Amino acid sequence: MVQKLRDHMWAYIFILVPVLLFLVFTLYPIISAFMMSFQRYHVLNPEWIGFDNYKTMFADSVFYKSLWNTFLFTVCTVPVNIAITFMLAYFIFQLRTKWQTFFKAVMYLPAVASGVTISLVWFAMFDPTKDGMINSFLGFFGMEPVMWLSQTSTALFSLMLMTYLGSHGAGIILYLAAMGGIPKSLYEAADIDHASGWAKFSKITWPLLKPTTLYLLVTGVIISFQVFISVYMMTQGGPDFATTTIAYLIYQTAFMFYEFGLASAQSFVLTAIIVVVSIIQFKMFSTDVEY
Amino acid sequence: MARVVFKNVEKEFVDGNKETFIAVKESNFTIEDKEFVVFVGPSGCGKTTSLRMIAGLEKQTRGDIMIGDRVVNKLHPKDRDIAMVFQDYALYPHMTIRENLSFGLKNLKQPKDVIAKKVKDASEVLGLDHLLDRKPKELSGGQRQRVAVGRAIVRDPQVFLFDEPLSNLDAKLRVQMRVELAELHKRLEATIVYVTHDQIEAMTLGQRIVVMNKGQIQQVASPTDLYQKPENMFVAGFIGSPPMNFIDVTYENGKVMMEGAQFVLPEHSVQALRAYEGKKLVLGIRPEHLFGEDITMGVPDTYSLTSTVQVVEQLGSENLVYFRVGERMITAKLHPDSDARVGQLKKFLLDMSKVHFFDVKTEKRTSI
Ligand SMILES: Nc1ncnc2c1ncn2[C@@H]1O[C@H](COP(=O)(O)OP(=O)(O)O)[C@@H](O)[C@H]1O
Ligand SMILES: [Mg+2]
Repeated sequence: MVQKLRDHMWAYIFILVPVLLFLVFTLYPIISAFMMSFQRYHVLNPEWIGFDNYKTMFADSVFYKSLWNTFLFTVCTVPVNIAITFMLAYFIFQLRTKWQTFFKAVMYLPAVASGVTISLVWFAMFDPTKDGMINSFLGFFGMEPVMWLSQTSTALFSLMLMTYLGSHGAGIILYLAAMGGIPKSLYEAADIDHASGWAKFSKITWPLLKPTTLYLLVTGVIISFQVFISVYMMTQGGPDFATTTIAYLIYQTAFMFYEFGLASAQSFVLTAIIVVVSIIQFKMFSTDVEY
Repeated sequence: MARVVFKNVEKEFVDGNKETFIAVKESNFTIEDKEFVVFVGPSGCGKTTSLRMIAGLEKQTRGDIMIGDRVVNKLHPKDRDIAMVFQDYALYPHMTIRENLSFGLKNLKQPKDVIAKKVKDASEVLGLDHLLDRKPKELSGGQRQRVAVGRAIVRDPQVFLFDEPLSNLDAKLRVQMRVELAELHKRLEATIVYVTHDQIEAMTLGQRIVVMNKGQIQQVASPTDLYQKPENMFVAGFIGSPPMNFIDVTYENGKVMMEGAQFVLPEHSVQALRAYEGKKLVLGIRPEHLFGEDITMGVPDTYSLTSTVQVVEQLGSENLVYFRVGERMITAKLHPDSDARVGQLKKFLLDMSKVHFFDVKTEKRTSI
């Protein structure tokens, strides 16, 4: 036993570092947050209050509103963005290697810029006066200026628009790698097999890219459920809670109202939703993806 | 009628540095209807490129290609009435075997019952009927290879193109599939163009063989003719295993002289070599046409070489004995009972009726 331990000593030491990091920075906060969700939190004397935080949360209409906003945001962005990513990748894939590299870099650029910088650019785009970028563009077609961020009918859509025109770089790189991984001979066999361009796309390319699409779907949904920065920067959840997403609500509860216990409870509901939704996606789409 | 004809076909590739590389040069041949023709040559000699030009997957830079009575220079692969078995099989990985086999027929919008029947027939011929609902990854290498062949068969094309279909199989399976392919050719009565780098595969399968080297056709002939009358040193060295031995000799006055020996040539050889008086030549003799002194098989011992045995390889059915003449290492394929031992000074007899002479410069065989 001792001998065995000594044999593997270095292995254990190497593993120890990430395990400790995980314990200190991931597991401990999760457990303490879970405990916190049953407390009225004060730094000095936290008070144990059982399920009161959960009761408060489920009685709050803003909580339901934020769930709905998050859901709407996710459903209207993730599939659209995957489609956009795919089309861009498909277009870039047809180019010569030199241009592929160029476009990959260009498309990835927004991911390097900080969310704050990007938000500033978008402020200029959404400027509600007729001189705002989008409004002056619409003005060409004789349309009235729109108050993008400050009316309930367009605020959430404006945030969605930011993702459509936002960073597709990472997804494009994944798709390009996957497209490059499909053997050329499959398309040649298909050519000999009388396959039309559409048949080659729908019967070969698309099915073989399914693992990549599934990956983008699952990670996209997880990220989208936690949408925060654009809300925080652009609308602070308003107007009239039209853009209050669940992540923003958690932030508000914790750092504006200092209700850490309630915020923890909300976080746990968000986590549970994400886990359940991810499992459902895998169950629904993952049949025979590996090949 | 599905002949395949190449007329002065050439293929150039342009690489990243804009340098042209000629992969196939002045290719001329006619493959007759229902013929099984094998393209053979070392890796990179342009076999696959030639095959892909027949298929239309690669467009020739110059020249004309005919399939049947049509010039197909500009035709898309699907319109050439060909089917191809790829080296990597190119099975659609996400489709079942049934879907793989029927994909082409579905694209042709053939009726469902016709497709079902063709798939059934082909899978029975190839012994795939119990695997139809599996995916390619659930099949062994040999089974995948059969699916690739099946996909070609269901289409019932005029010409079958095979690109090294056996190269991914183990040796035993390769022999078995070789026999099956030969049988398949009889059954299908179709023209088959088959590419391989393996000369044994070429000799066993091909009715005629096209030997290529460095983009150029070296010889087109039947297996027997290739073996008995190789046109040049490349073909002579490529066909046959172990390869033909080459010995540097000088011809003078009806005699060939080499290091350690000289032979008086028979009268008909003397006639043929008249132009080489006083010149250097290369003598070619196959390992199986050298004999040990102990077993002469009626070969007169006028034609003999004496040298020290360097290596002996015992293969059971025969012994390969290696010795030197000048710079060249020579192989003799001797009877397993021969007494050759390493270090032994041994006398080897040549079957002079099987000897070839090659021009040193052109490497072409002189006609004797
Ligand atoms: N698409 C291509 N681009 C550039 N060179 C090629 C291409 N395809 C083949 N070649 C070159 O042409 C030569 C012949 O190739 P190939 O026909 O595949 O040889 P093989 O006889 O081994 O099948 C090789 O030197 C190869 O590198
Ligand atoms: Mg090849």
